[in-house]
Amino acid sequence: MVDGSGQPNLIEAAGVGKVYKRGSEEVIALRNVNLSLSKGEFCVIVGPSGSGKSTLLHLLGGIDQPTQGELVVNGINLVKSNEAALTCFRRDNIGFVFQFYNLFPSLSALDNVILPLLAKGINWKDSRARGEAVLEQVGLDHRQKHTPAQLSGGEQQRVAIARAIVAAPCLVLADEPTGDLDSASANSIIALMVDLNQRLGLTFMVATHNLNLLKLATCSYELADGMLKAGPGA
Amino acid sequence: MRALSYFTFKDLIHDRWRSMLTVLSLGVIVTGYLLLAALAQALVMLTRQAQVSNNLLIVAAGAIDPQDSSLDEGILKTALDIAPGQILQAFPIIFRHLTIDGHILQVRAVGLEEMSTALGLTLVQGSWPVGTRRVVVSEGAAQLAGWKIGSNVKVYGTDFQVSGVVHSAENAFGSVWMTNTEGQSLFGTRRGFQVGYLSLAASANPESLRLKLQADPRIAAQATIYLENVFTNDYNQSTSNLVILSSLMVLVSLLAITLGIYNATSLHLAERSLEIGLLRVIGFTRPRIRGFLYSRALMLTLAAYGLGWTAAMMFIAGQRLHAPGGLVFLTLNLTPFSTLLGLALAAGFACLGTWLTSQRLASVNLRTGGE
Repeated sequence: MVDGSGQPNLIEAAGVGKVYKRGSEEVIALRNVNLSLSKGEFCVIVGPSGSGKSTLLHLLGGIDQPTQGELVVNGINLVKSNEAALTCFRRDNIGFVFQFYNLFPSLSALDNVILPLLAKGINWKDSRARGEAVLEQVGLDHRQKHTPAQLSGGEQQRVAIARAIVAAPCLVLADEPTGDLDSASANSIIALMVDLNQRLGLTFMVATHNLNLLKLATCSYELADGMLKAGPGA
Repeated sequence: MRALSYFTFKDLIHDRWRSMLTVLSLGVIVTGYLLLAALAQALVMLTRQAQVSNNLLIVAAGAIDPQDSSLDEGILKTALDIAPGQILQAFPIIFRHLTIDGHILQVRAVGLEEMSTALGLTLVQGSWPVGTRRVVVSEGAAQLAGWKIGSNVKVYGTDFQVSGVVHSAENAFGSVWMTNTEGQSLFGTRRGFQVGYLSLAASANPESLRLKLQADPRIAAQATIYLENVFTNDYNQSTSNLVILSSLMVLVSLLAITLGIYNATSLHLAERSLEIGLLRVIGFTRPRIRGFLYSRALMLTLAAYGLGWTAAMMFIAGQRLHAPGGLVFLTLNLTPFSTLLGLALAAGFACLGTWLTSQRLASVNLRTGGE
């Protein structure tokens, strides 16, 4: 499939399902999800807790694999990939932003940001130069040497976003990125993500309860009981 | 490599108190290993097989401790009569275990000339005990009791003066040496002497001669003839169990180092499962994460080994250990071989422990690891 400009879609999901086994019980997290997403979109997925938003992001990010259906991201078939291939896929294509930031407490902001570059094998000097530039982009160039404990929640999430985009991924997956922030910090983070999307053309897929994001999204979906349908703003 | 070292170091510094406690606890085990290795080596040196000598010893029948032996001059004449020309020299040794200045020491009385010739003593300081009420003391005895040249030593209630300090390559026991004349004067002649020493001609066959002397009824009735090295070895075997015990303790120490590192790494992995999961989410492969764990374990091991080695060297430096009472002297010496062997084994076992622990990396849940 291709988008309107003739480029292949970044994400192609067809009939994707995910079933977890909890002991002898089977839990259906996603049912027959069909999804196409072009590069440069700012896509928002809303839905109640437990609806499958995080599961969908995990599948799209190669953290987990579907139990049925076909899933291709940036031309890579994630259903047929083994663990090592998925690791390389995540490293080369995906940036993750989590609700609770998930920064390494022992490392400075800059050290946290350069980790994906080191994972890619980029040398120390170039990694640090690139990390400094990205921290400047998210407005934290003056906080490079601070550890997470010395940063506010909003600043920590900015560091997490810098880490997510530093290796120039084709897709940034953000799972409740404003869920742990006060409204001012949340608005600031939303503005930052939208800015990065518009200025750098980064593709975002954001799972959230924050309905304010729908107004800024270029596409939206709603998940309920593992079923994906077009969102309220679509 | 630089990034690996950097992040490992950062992690250890961030967790500094636990890192220090781990290094300290492993350092104590390393110290134990190094001291036990040194002790085992010293005991091996003590009990090593005596060099084959061309000499025979005569001891009263049934006595294993020379102090329990009692012989008279007649037996030396008998031996010379049985094998004329094969025995170059036959002389008596008076032997006692005594408490001197609170230390249990051997006292030996022999002819002045035999000290340096047949018995192989070498003078380290001072002079031989020429004249009355003079003794020479072994290096270990001098160090233990703090004796110097000119010191007064009360032996068996009589004052003697230390005229020299001697070294014996074959004797690890603390000892005081005096002339035969002084020995007879001090202990009397009722018990005669304790050991007869037969120095053989180079052409003599020691074992054949020993059998010949032992077969003579005049000797067989009252004495046993030993090859000098056999008697020394029999005497030294009393400490052979200690060698085995020390060697076992060395192995136990190495095992403790392994388990210590394994536990430290295992705990680290359990406590950092979120961070390790996150590293995998970011794109670090399992081998690279394992490399981080190896690097961390090796840094801890090297720090602990350095600490343990320093502590062991401080303990060993200039030390001579002695058994209770001070009879047996052991010189502890940490050889480069045992130091490097311990380091190599500790590092190797640290890697093995890390490898075993890191098998769990496969089961780190990336879903929970990421969030």
